[in-house]
Amino acid sequence: MDQNNSLPPFQGLPSPQGAMTPGITMFSPMISYGSGLTPQPVQNTNSLSILEEQQRQQQQQQQAQQPSAGLPGTSGQTPQLYHSQTGPVSTTTGLPGSTGLYSTSIGPMTPHTPATPASESSGIVPTLQNIVSTVNLGCKLDLKTIALRARNAEYNPKRFAAVIMRIREPRTTALIFSSGKMVCTGAKSEDESRLAARKYARVVQKLGFPAKFLDFKIQNMVGSCDVKFPIRLEGLVLTHQQFSSYEPELFPGLIYRMIKPRIVLLIFVSGKVVLTGAKVRAEIYEAFENIYPILKGFRKTT
Amino acid sequence: MSAAGLRCPGCGSSNIVDDDLYCQAQLVCVDCGSVVSEGTLADDPVGGTDVSYSRTTEVTRKPCLNLIKGLERVKEICRILRVSSEIEDLALTHFRQAYEHESFINVTLQRKELLAGCCVFVSCRQRDWPITLGTISCLLNADQTLVGGVYQNMMKILNIQAPFINVTDVIEAHVQEYKISTQHVPEELAEDSKVLSKRAVALVELAGDSWIVTGRKPLPIMMAATYLAWQSLNPNKHRLKLSLDKFCQLAKVQKRKPATTRITELKEVLCKLGRELPWVREPVTQNDVVRLVGDILEHRHTLLTRALRTHERAMEADCTQTFALNSLTEEVAPSQISESRDQTANASSVVQPCPNTRGENQEGDGDENHQSEDPEPNWGKRVLFAPPCVLHAKMRRVERPVQNVTGDEEISDSEIDSYIRSPQEVRDFAQMQKMASCSDIGKS
Repeated sequence: MDQNNSLPPFQGLPSPQGAMTPGITMFSPMISYGSGLTPQPVQNTNSLSILEEQQRQQQQQQQAQQPSAGLPGTSGQTPQLYHSQTGPVSTTTGLPGSTGLYSTSIGPMTPHTPATPASESSGIVPTLQNIVSTVNLGCKLDLKTIALRARNAEYNPKRFAAVIMRIREPRTTALIFSSGKMVCTGAKSEDESRLAARKYARVVQKLGFPAKFLDFKIQNMVGSCDVKFPIRLEGLVLTHQQFSSYEPELFPGLIYRMIKPRIVLLIFVSGKVVLTGAKVRAEIYEAFENIYPILKGFRKTT
Repeated sequence: MSAAGLRCPGCGSSNIVDDDLYCQAQLVCVDCGSVVSEGTLADDPVGGTDVSYSRTTEVTRKPCLNLIKGLERVKEICRILRVSSEIEDLALTHFRQAYEHESFINVTLQRKELLAGCCVFVSCRQRDWPITLGTISCLLNADQTLVGGVYQNMMKILNIQAPFINVTDVIEAHVQEYKISTQHVPEELAEDSKVLSKRAVALVELAGDSWIVTGRKPLPIMMAATYLAWQSLNPNKHRLKLSLDKFCQLAKVQKRKPATTRITELKEVLCKLGRELPWVREPVTQNDVVRLVGDILEHRHTLLTRALRTHERAMEADCTQTFALNSLTEEVAPSQISESRDQTANASSVVQPCPNTRGENQEGDGDENHQSEDPEPNWGKRVLFAPPCVLHAKMRRVERPVQNVTGDEEISDSEIDSYIRSPQEVRDFAQMQKMASCSDIGKS
């Protein structure tokens, strides 16, 4: 079974032995602050809490960088360290002491600073609200027959060239086209979407068509969450101009187009955030972990 | 045809000249004036030329007529808004660039006019000239959503960025539109534009600080601020009695419906601050806060800190009260060890955030723990100022719990059968469809 929620691979980073092996639905708490593509947390010096946080982050970075500073020195002194490590290990892996929950990225190809530990994460997990998937039933379909013989189908060829079918459990809607391709929307998880698509295929099968279940693919995932504090959208659009679009006359939310991962976030003044455009669950979690420190920077009090 | 060798039929003279006074070539006798011969009047064949305009080389020499008209419209809009020549040039450049793109070359003339307005709008923003999309829509006499659509399309095509313009920048220009100087209205209702503008700016800044502005359309807020500023500058009974409707009619501006809600929200904020004024004895209500607006705005920073401190103290008092309640329940049920352990955990976590709320308007985690019995802890109700959309949150229907679905479960036949019509149903449905289509044909 194809696992659609794999983590996006880190370029140029061999995973050291003993480092965290990503679980299936676990999101990566690794936030790379150094690369230009992920947004940097903005230093808003108006509030005392932000200054404190800045100091804390600097301290952490210093602590995390200490093992890496030690690496060139130890390479000459303890050569057996590298020989004792088995497997395809490059010389850029960190010392055993530093590989715990997170891998430190010290290498010529990776200039970004070490990842922040899991305890820094926001503690808020976005909930998935909608999954859009497609599947190929592998045979031509007669939409008129389907609309005639199925209870839960509607078909209006003048308006749209597909049958709209709905099932109760999981509560989803499908668009079935005469080419045999189908779009399934409304599920709240990847497995639900797959189950729903299988049910639609079974209905079409029972109606007499030789339906198969080919190339099931998740096309889009939408998640949402609430950071529970108000956000100064005017400030955010000023500091992150190249990523944000905020037109209060047209739409009350700020549209943030994150580059890595490629996710679009709708950020509202109430603190609610909608994330969309993901192909896998981990992208939504990663995007939220990237945006949370930035939003905290705009947690301005009156 | 040469004039030599020809003889005039009238007088017989050989003095014939080629007369090119008229567009028609004529050979005329000088002596008697009679026309000897003439050329064809027009050289074009009947029914137009063989080659169409778009295929001739004229196209490259003379630009498209609609492009010229569009450029003229851009210049017109710039003149009406009285923007600088730099903005005008930039707008013309943008328009020429966008016009050639496939999304705008074959659209209706209305859309091309909207494009002209949007080019002016983006050029104003790029040169820090404060203007709103609402103003442009008004000028173009078009729906704001349509203009917005064209604007976003244009931004994508031109791949430019327009800096964000704050409401506080636009309010000064907005106040100029109101015709309430002494020349237009009677003395007791008139107000100097500069003074009015200054007070409106202060009100808008206050609104911005208390979350009324973010995410909202700017025009109703500016209207509310101008109205309250005008009322408060001379709070006599004439002004206080005048509703927003009448004020807009007086000042000859178009009223915006959300402005009434903004006025209420702004007055609420002013009330919260007005309560902190030391020389005010009676409770401050929405009706009489207008008289205090001047004082409030003058000392608004101090009043803000005082209001925050009062609010904190109220929150702390709340915290200690709940802590006392928790410890009381602890004594009452000593036998239930696990329960009391929970409550001590609650109590200790409740106490912790109370000192943290000093200087910050945020809820602690303890508050959430403590209010775990409540269905929806609304954090907005626990802070002094919160965005109104949080305070008046919509009731959402309960989300169904996420089931443990693997995607590979067995699908029961009975469930699938429930989605398929029985043969009798199919026959009935087909019959009904036939009847419906027959009646349609009968009607048409």
